[in-house]
Amino acid sequence: MKPLIDRGTAARAKACCAAAYGSDVVALLLGDSYHPGGLALTRRLATRLNPRAGQRVLDVASGRGTTALTLAAEYGVEVTGVDLSDSNVALASAAAQAAGLAGQVRFQVGDAERLGADASWFDAVVCECALCTFPDKPTAVGELARVLKPGGRVGITDVTADPDRLPPQLTGLGAWIACVADARPLHEYAALLAAAGLRVTHTERHDQAITAMVDQIEARLTLVRMTARKRAEALGLDFDRAPAVLAATRAAIAEGVLGYALLVADKPGHVADKPGHVADKPGSVYGEEWGQHIPEETSNGPDESRSAGGAGAAAVRWGGPRVEPGGRAGQ
Amino acid sequence: MTVVEPVGSGGAIGGVPMESRSEDERFRGVLKRDRDEVFVEYTKSICPVCKTVVDGQVNIRDGKVYLRKRCREHDWFEALVYGDAQMYLDSARFNKPGTIPLTFQTQVRDGCPSDCGLCPEHKQHACLGIIEVNTGCNLDCPICFADSGHQPDGYSISVEQCAAMLDAFVASEGEAEVVMFSGGEPTIHKHILDFVDLAQARPIKAVNVNTNGIRLASDRRFVAALGDRNRVPGRAVNIYLQFDGFDERTHLEIRGRDLREVKRRALDNCAEAGLTVTLVAAIERGLNDHELGAIIEYGLAHPAVRSVSFQPVTHSGRHVEFDPLTRLTNSDIIHGIAAQRPQWFQASDFFPVPCCFPTCRSITYLLTEGIPGEADFGLAPIPRLLKVEDYLDYVTNRVMPDDTVREALEKLWSASAFMGTDTTAEKLAAAAAALDCADACGINLPEAIAHLTDRAFMIVVQDFQDPYTLNVKQLMKCCVEEITPDGRLIPFCAYNSVGYREQVREHMSGSSVADVVPNAAQLQPLLTSSPYGSKIARASAGRDGRGAVAPDATNVGRRIR
Repeated sequence: MKPLIDRGTAARAKACCAAAYGSDVVALLLGDSYHPGGLALTRRLATRLNPRAGQRVLDVASGRGTTALTLAAEYGVEVTGVDLSDSNVALASAAAQAAGLAGQVRFQVGDAERLGADASWFDAVVCECALCTFPDKPTAVGELARVLKPGGRVGITDVTADPDRLPPQLTGLGAWIACVADARPLHEYAALLAAAGLRVTHTERHDQAITAMVDQIEARLTLVRMTARKRAEALGLDFDRAPAVLAATRAAIAEGVLGYALLVADKPGHVADKPGHVADKPGSVYGEEWGQHIPEETSNGPDESRSAGGAGAAAVRWGGPRVEPGGRAGQ
Repeated sequence: MTVVEPVGSGGAIGGVPMESRSEDERFRGVLKRDRDEVFVEYTKSICPVCKTVVDGQVNIRDGKVYLRKRCREHDWFEALVYGDAQMYLDSARFNKPGTIPLTFQTQVRDGCPSDCGLCPEHKQHACLGIIEVNTGCNLDCPICFADSGHQPDGYSISVEQCAAMLDAFVASEGEAEVVMFSGGEPTIHKHILDFVDLAQARPIKAVNVNTNGIRLASDRRFVAALGDRNRVPGRAVNIYLQFDGFDERTHLEIRGRDLREVKRRALDNCAEAGLTVTLVAAIERGLNDHELGAIIEYGLAHPAVRSVSFQPVTHSGRHVEFDPLTRLTNSDIIHGIAAQRPQWFQASDFFPVPCCFPTCRSITYLLTEGIPGEADFGLAPIPRLLKVEDYLDYVTNRVMPDDTVREALEKLWSASAFMGTDTTAEKLAAAAAALDCADACGINLPEAIAHLTDRAFMIVVQDFQDPYTLNVKQLMKCCVEEITPDGRLIPFCAYNSVGYREQVREHMSGSSVADVVPNAAQLQPLLTSSPYGSKIARASAGRDGRGAVAPDATNVGRRIR
């Protein structure tokens, strides 16, 4: 895999991204939609992962905690959020407290490339809009795979980019766009997961999500210009340059150079039979229940193929004799 | 006048004799065909000609949504009801539980839509009550759903009747949000200011005057009198100004007169009197559907205008000949707005209104600054700043979002939302507060946020049903009601389509009134003109001697043997 920029630059981008996501200006522009696709895409990813109540989930690059809190509230899972930024961790912890989820969700400062967790500790791992910023992607993905239990699933949503064709203006819009400088095409993300020993079971393109985010950034730029122009300029926003940068971004999306994607992979091996415990007894083999491991790429239609994860997970959850398609219990 | 053949009738095997030996041979190579449409709903509607209640079916064909129905006497009818099938289906989750009104005015006897209203089976209270104060008008527009004009045999309500109608509204609503005075032309009623006073003396927060603007353009004392009433604490008076576009042809074909100068003067007088105006545009395909963007832009620039309401021409009452299969729908208007001002809008900026049926009305709000065309002009649709779907999706959301924000958006995305009312201003402020990221980002916008509502602008897209498109499913959750002199609250689209308007006019005027039939291209051989310029069925008499409004011919209540 050919790196777009050298390690030093990438490392700076990562630090810059973490700082950007922690910064007031980025929060101002991104608002509640902390990543393309927003909560709707997070929920779609969660449906694919379908964790059971009480299971342990890791959120890598947890930002201000929205994904972690949503998973905890809607699935009853225990979530550990890891983020590079101190201020994000503080804000996310406060949000967990405010939501009454402090007992279920904790946030800590940490680096995706050096996760402190034990091997095979988490039932599921999510990483939204962050892998693109990690300078050493093979190491980071290896870490995700290491801390995941056999049979566990990893869900990723991320910016996709064709690095050779990114327009030069995109390095201009503050810090956010710099984060996409090390994004990869979808097939490279899939290859990264495979190289870490994970099996990619599902991918989807969601390019419209990034268009919507550009629209949102544009609207917030307008709002800020209308209400707090001077203060925003003091923080580094360049209102005069923004239209050209936004236009270049839209063009890149339209040409397929820039996009957004969802990937789900699982870790081969035995499935845990109880929440919170590493599988130590023979159980059903996850991979066989899925039947096939060839990644199927689907378009980003709103509701297609939601049931696939549910059916597989249901068979695991109940643990009894599996019902074959013909309706008879397995022999 | 048959507009469609029942799909799949007859077919490949029709008439094949049952000779068992040669069956294999006969059917070899004979393929069953697929229908060219997806059947999505079964409902009830009415025959556009005789108003008999009939079974209806909603189908999706070529990415568009159609309502089809058959009358035993008048055969098949079909009309386009939504131009974008994906938007139609996506809207379903923006639907909320209705609120039960304090009283019902009628009983369930024959079922919807024959028992209006409101009957106890109605699913929603009245967000907006309409009082038509007269049938007379100082215009004779070629397009008028109320069939009004310079007519010798109409009616106008008395002060006592108005008071009783307002009382019926309050009895049903308790504290009501908005009553709209309409007509006819309400500003030519000699008691119109008394009517406003009657409404303001009751627990009704806002009055809307629905007008063509002729009196507003010429009678500044009248405008000032409305302005005075708009300053009564806790009570608002707003103007709902008919405003269809800027081309001379638009005015001549919709209004029969070039009213461009009249509209300009009316708006300037309203601004001077401190009145808030909604521009209300009736949009007809091929006539003024190219003026959507220009109307918004004009509204954004005028100090009196705070909202625009686009309404595809309702093919009830009087209107020009049209084709029900290519009529304009909400999604056509929304896509048109996005196409005409792509720098400002996209279709996803509009969200369905959950209080009525979500396919009836869509709304967006904008925060704006400056005047379009000038250097510092800024415009931001609120749905790009706040995830509206997280709050207004009552069906698939599993986690209750912030109550304050949801309640605010609920009121803003409703039929009672009008710019210029206290409620809408309060709820805009609450929504704007959610845009502030003081907690999260340090740049808080306190003083700016406080004034954001002064910069808010509302765009409404509302498709009223007509005798072709009437779907009882939507009617049962309608939240815009006509208040009748006998104290009923009749859903607006039932009033216009099912025969209630004719019933009330006949009762009030003493003159026989025939049921109005849509001026559809397919119905021309059946039609003749009514005295008011609308179309009625040939050989049609008044309502005399006929039975109930909308007798029922749906396939219920009978056994097959």
